[in-house]
Amino acid sequence: MRPFLALVFASIFSCASMAQTHDGMAGMAMGHEAPLGFDATFDATGHLWVVDTVGEHVRARRSDDMGRSFAMSTIVNPTGEPIYAEGENRPKLALGPKDELYVSWSQPRKLPWTGFVRFSRSLDGGAHFDAPMTVHADRAEITHRFDSLAVDGKGNVVVAWIDKRDVEAAKASGKPYLGAATYYSWSNDRGATFAHERKIVDESCECCRIALARAPDGTIDAFFRAIYGDNIRDHAFANLPVGKDMLKVERATFTQWHIEGCPHHGPSLAIDAAGTRHAVWFSAADGKATIWYGQLHPGDKPTHLATVAAAGASHADIAVDGKHVWIAYHQVSAKGLELMLRESSDGGTTFTEARAIAHVDGGSGWPKLLLWRHRAFVGWNPDGHFRLVPTELL
Amino acid sequence: MKYWLTAFICLFAAAATSAAEPTVLTPADTKALIAPPGRGVRIVALWSLDCAYCEENLAALLAFQRSHADVELVFVATDPIGEKAALEARLKAAKLDAVPSRAYADATPERLNFLIDPTWGGETPRTLAIKADGTREAVSGALDAGRIATLVD
Repeated sequence: MRPFLALVFASIFSCASMAQTHDGMAGMAMGHEAPLGFDATFDATGHLWVVDTVGEHVRARRSDDMGRSFAMSTIVNPTGEPIYAEGENRPKLALGPKDELYVSWSQPRKLPWTGFVRFSRSLDGGAHFDAPMTVHADRAEITHRFDSLAVDGKGNVVVAWIDKRDVEAAKASGKPYLGAATYYSWSNDRGATFAHERKIVDESCECCRIALARAPDGTIDAFFRAIYGDNIRDHAFANLPVGKDMLKVERATFTQWHIEGCPHHGPSLAIDAAGTRHAVWFSAADGKATIWYGQLHPGDKPTHLATVAAAGASHADIAVDGKHVWIAYHQVSAKGLELMLRESSDGGTTFTEARAIAHVDGGSGWPKLLLWRHRAFVGWNPDGHFRLVPTELL
Repeated sequence: MKYWLTAFICLFAAAATSAAEPTVLTPADTKALIAPPGRGVRIVALWSLDCAYCEENLAALLAFQRSHADVELVFVATDPIGEKAALEARLKAAKLDAVPSRAYADATPERLNFLIDPTWGGETPRTLAIKADGTREAVSGALDAGRIATLVD
């Protein structure tokens, strides 16, 4: 009996050791614990600007050598606050025509799924940022998250986000409501103040980023996941007027993906000088995870539909310059993440085969395509170390 | 013999403490997670803190399991193990904390997605039914009793 008891105790000790090993891993920087969300853009003179987070702070950095080093690093919010800094909820960056730097992010509140959309600006080239403000007038402790940020051709700042105030109102009156609403606001005074928010549409998806892009007329278009019928999660398209002009929201994808759940995959949109709306989006209709490319015709089906990638691919970004279209995305395997690229030189009619342009054993924020003098680079931060990945074959 | 006894005692100890915090799921752990069970069906319910549909799915699966003795149920959070206090609190508040629970522990969460189910795009909730005969089916979205029965049968 004694040897048996000794074995039992030894086994329990062994289990405890295993548990200790596992607990020890909890202290490692893993996945979402080290926030990898970032945004990046070039300014008119070729300086690269990157925003990411350090603890409870948003950080803006400027590189003068294509991301090899950073000549300037400024904390946007010296008073720390919780920040959603992952995946679809990363901090955002946009530049104004007079070298303004605009930054937005979503701030988690105490209850699950709640948040406020926050905004700050720098008018002195990133040396200082104004104290952050909350963009929306509604201050209920509900979802105002998944902010997106853009600047229109006149320098107006546009912010769009996912908002659950209408869900709460429906709940209070006992009415059914799927998903959440999508709202937006704008500033026509260089980010000093924002207009009272406007609803874009009811019953849109509650967990996917909103794509914003500038149209040839300088206005901002939005492309985002919306709900049709019984939890069919496709995408809507809307031009976002700065002011009270009519807002027209139209369905733009028709994959018929039914899911009573969270896709966690927002789309991407790039509009060329002729007004062609190049887009990529994710769908798992019929159980087939797919990244699609298409040219949007709001109200009607997209044309030039093509499968960009299938199972294991995620979080595609798209950019266009003339007839040149680039698509970057993640492809996962047991070995880690491949940063993949597909290109078209004929305006999206045909694309090259996918090729891996970088690899990381660990993790990275979603890829961000950046254009500079007709050349494309992918902003990437494998294991939290930002770099620009060239897209050109050597 | 010693190995098996140790494994048995570990399993027993794990079962006895399963109502507590989630345990880690590393890439090396996924093979056992998705291996066919000795009998019946193992349901792996993938969920995340940031998924408003997940708790109702976990609750529906738990209700199903209570009336199906041959169903083994495991909750797997795609959030990192560092969030285990929040995960535990969320499960406890929803009275879902009696089910064995795991949480991701890898620098690349997408790798765990891939190892668990290579056809999965990461959307949540995701439910896998792994049967003793080695067949498996997976479906995304919140399920009701009817859809769970279809998945398991």
